[in-house]
Amino acid sequence: MSTTSKVSATIALVGNPNSGKTTLFNALTGENQRVGNYSGVTVALKSGTFFTPHGRKLRVLDLPGCYSLRAGSPDEQVAVAALTGALPDEPKPDLVVCVVDASNLERHLQLALQVIELGLPCLLALNMIDAAELAGLRLDPGKLAEELGIPVVPMQASAGKGVLELKQSLRFPLPHPAAAPWLDEGGDADAARRGFILRLCELAARRPSEHQLTLSDRADDILLHPGWGWLCFAGLLLLMFWSIFSLAKVPMGWIESGQAGLASWLEGLLAEGDLRSLLIDGVLGGVGGVLMFLPQIVLLFLFIGLLESTGYMARAAFLMDGVMARAGLSGKAFLPLFSSYACAIPGVMSARTIDSAKERLVTIFVAPWMSCSARLPVYLLMVPLLLNEGEGSWRQAGVLFAVYALGTASAFAVARVLRGRLGPDPNPAHFMLEMPPFRVPQWRYIGRHLAERAWSFIAKAGTLILGLSILLWALSTYPKSPGADPSAALAHSAMGRIGAVIEPAVKPMGFDGRTGTAILTSFAAREVFNSSMAILFRVRESGDEKATRGLLRAQLAAARWPDGRPLFTPLSMISLLVFYIYALQCLPTVAVVARETGSWRWALGQLGFMTAFAWLAAALIYQGGRLLGF
Amino acid sequence: MAVKLVGATDLEIDSAMTLNQARVGCDLQIQGVDGPSCERLREMGFCEQLRVRKLAGGRNLLCSLCGTRVALSKDLAEQVLVKMTG
Repeated sequence: MSTTSKVSATIALVGNPNSGKTTLFNALTGENQRVGNYSGVTVALKSGTFFTPHGRKLRVLDLPGCYSLRAGSPDEQVAVAALTGALPDEPKPDLVVCVVDASNLERHLQLALQVIELGLPCLLALNMIDAAELAGLRLDPGKLAEELGIPVVPMQASAGKGVLELKQSLRFPLPHPAAAPWLDEGGDADAARRGFILRLCELAARRPSEHQLTLSDRADDILLHPGWGWLCFAGLLLLMFWSIFSLAKVPMGWIESGQAGLASWLEGLLAEGDLRSLLIDGVLGGVGGVLMFLPQIVLLFLFIGLLESTGYMARAAFLMDGVMARAGLSGKAFLPLFSSYACAIPGVMSARTIDSAKERLVTIFVAPWMSCSARLPVYLLMVPLLLNEGEGSWRQAGVLFAVYALGTASAFAVARVLRGRLGPDPNPAHFMLEMPPFRVPQWRYIGRHLAERAWSFIAKAGTLILGLSILLWALSTYPKSPGADPSAALAHSAMGRIGAVIEPAVKPMGFDGRTGTAILTSFAAREVFNSSMAILFRVRESGDEKATRGLLRAQLAAARWPDGRPLFTPLSMISLLVFYIYALQCLPTVAVVARETGSWRWALGQLGFMTAFAWLAAALIYQGGRLLGF
Repeated sequence: MAVKLVGATDLEIDSAMTLNQARVGCDLQIQGVDGPSCERLREMGFCEQLRVRKLAGGRNLLCSLCGTRVALSKDLAEQVLVKMTG
């Protein structure tokens, strides 16, 4: 047998949510797909390749988890279509690996039996045997294989145990499709399957007679408690916001001093002129103003990754179900909405796990109001300025918490109105969710996930934000005015002229043309706001060891309207924060919403609604505040 | 809600109750699943003869089904018929 690079067969991984398909997929292919400890992390087909010990190259498909082949929600429909060969460009798999949780055979075997009935060659991966042994189950893989008529491989994919054995058992010729003896009795197929599984489990997976309380159960007694549970939940969220402000200060200090060092080095190297101004004001000021927030964004993703990986997310969804019900949604909508705090795009995609089509539409509609990580730099710039103090205090964490809470509360209110308008669902989907046992986080995957996110943030700063910074610098520098007065020079430049055009549109919200221009540029990416402000307000580092951000804040605090009033009053800063909470300034999100809902009207309607709402809310706050004398 | 039992004797019907009515902390055996969402319940593992323990009541019930924790709404629990064991 020779090693060829041609794929000799396609195998599909299928199983209930939380049976560890993606962990097995990663172990087989060495890829790094997202693994979470709650159902529905995999919502689309993922494929990869690996070699068997016999030197054959196999292609493996990771299907979304499903409980049966009846296909209720869209992610389950994808899995069923893949198994039956109904997907275009995707051949029917040559072999199906049914991944089951060994400690839960009574439930997980139902799907395996249905797959056998399809007449596809099957192999049973008896995953999580460690958990089954811990629960005191007496498993007999040989008996299982004999009764089911398919090969059975015991394994623990998270520790890499049994993966080699699985690869070895994928030898050619592939096993024949097994018969389905339970169907011979005739009658209802569902009942026949259930009867067969019960008999099989009596034989091959005997449970200890008494109910055993695991450590996970004991943790749940507190975490799901109606009183203590909420306290823990609130405590976790507060800890997250506090650490975003305080813990991140240390690495941020390193980035700041690195930047300041670079600026003073450039200053000594280059003569006063356009090139120096481009590098220091344009590139360093623009890119640096965004890059600074890398530690905080990594921390946010770390927290969300930890919550997913340990299994706490499902508990949070359980607690939140009552709150979500008031918004006309169910606990299932909590997971997509919560992951939108990191980024609305995966949030919108994970809404596929929601059974009810109308609830899914509403969830997607409001998801962008869960403040995403791209807004964090803007909040972090404005909040200390609003409180008129240095960085990193409990008060600021509190204001940040309030900012997130305002976005979330408004999202719920809009969801409620919208859900009411869409009318009742034809088949009511009630809340039902599996609480996976708590697990030690898979540090390796979290680490790789964080590195990926950090790298994509840096890459964005190095490409899109760098390009925009240079463009903005050029627009705000040319054409040059003869005078030496910097504000007259800016007014004379192309940017100043654009700003003058924009100003009437943003003035009701309390902003001048420069802030308006910065808002306009943040439609490319929200973080660009900071870069734009740094460039437009001409923050210079001039060899000063002080941080760019502190300087930008000082500059903003000193900025005046032509009539001498301060530009950034507490009122206009609140108005700016409110605008950023509500505005949907993210074109990739619009594209993903159009794809997921299958409707450009829905996506553009969302964009229009959120932009108009943001403008109105900010203008109302500013004008109302002025009338009240603030 | 009217619940129809398949293959249950009269005696079993007498001692049967819905999962909602069962007391917290009881070990139960599922006698029947019937109602508009019974397919979804069966998929999740709420099948006849399986053992279940009710862990918490309230807006959403929490129960342990073959060693797995499952949360389900009151409406769904109404469709699961159980009897006490042990």
